[in-house]
Amino acid sequence: MSSFGNGGGGRRGSKFGRFGQKRPLVLPAEPLDYKNVAYLGKFLTPNGKIQSRKRTGFSGQNQRQLALAIKRARFLGLMQFVGRA
Amino acid sequence: MERVRTYECMCLLDNREVRKGWDPLKSAVTGMFTKHGAEMLSSKRWDERRLLYSIRGQQRGTYLLSYFKANTQQIAGIRRDLQFSDVVMRSLVLACEDVPAAAYEPEAAFDVNTIPSEEAPVAGAAPVAQEPEITSTPIPGERTEEGGGA
Repeated sequence: MSSFGNGGGGRRGSKFGRFGQKRPLVLPAEPLDYKNVAYLGKFLTPNGKIQSRKRTGFSGQNQRQLALAIKRARFLGLMQFVGRA
Repeated sequence: MERVRTYECMCLLDNREVRKGWDPLKSAVTGMFTKHGAEMLSSKRWDERRLLYSIRGQQRGTYLLSYFKANTQQIAGIRRDLQFSDVVMRSLVLACEDVPAAAYEPEAAFDVNTIPSEEAPVAGAAPVAQEPEITSTPIPGERTEEGGGA
């Protein structure tokens, strides 16, 4: 049996489990609309990429709405595709 | 099956056309909807702002937000007309459940002469810093091309 250098204890029984501690879902404070550019801009990285669910804390449904709203705003020239605004 | 739905349309208009006159331009755009049998609910200027990237060589644009009721079968034709239009640089037609109350408020007065020119500096933008001249200082012990050979 190999412990791979972690002392043999592993993460079994740990409260963090395999994927880390479960975080509570975050609800969007404002509507996820493509016209709400100021709010959507908070979910972009400095390079203009859409933040992951791990960082936004949104549910899958809200994360999809966020990504769609950002893509619509980008198409209309309201948000940048890459780089800082 | 034919069905009537409420739609929202955001159009990005060319400022060169906007400067020629706002009302005729607005009528021209709404005419693209009514031509296909749409019933206009609201149509007003949303904003005039700097674009985040250049579209058709323009750095600024005026947004027109319209709400209308139309047959679902006619939307493809409306999208096609908007796409082929010279005054509409970008358009987004989406189905919406209800029209916000703000859409029915009267449009604020818009003077096309107040639109900043393309060359105007961005308000609040920091002045571009001059890049310092890079002077090559010799690093002690560094090999040069002339003296690097064996």
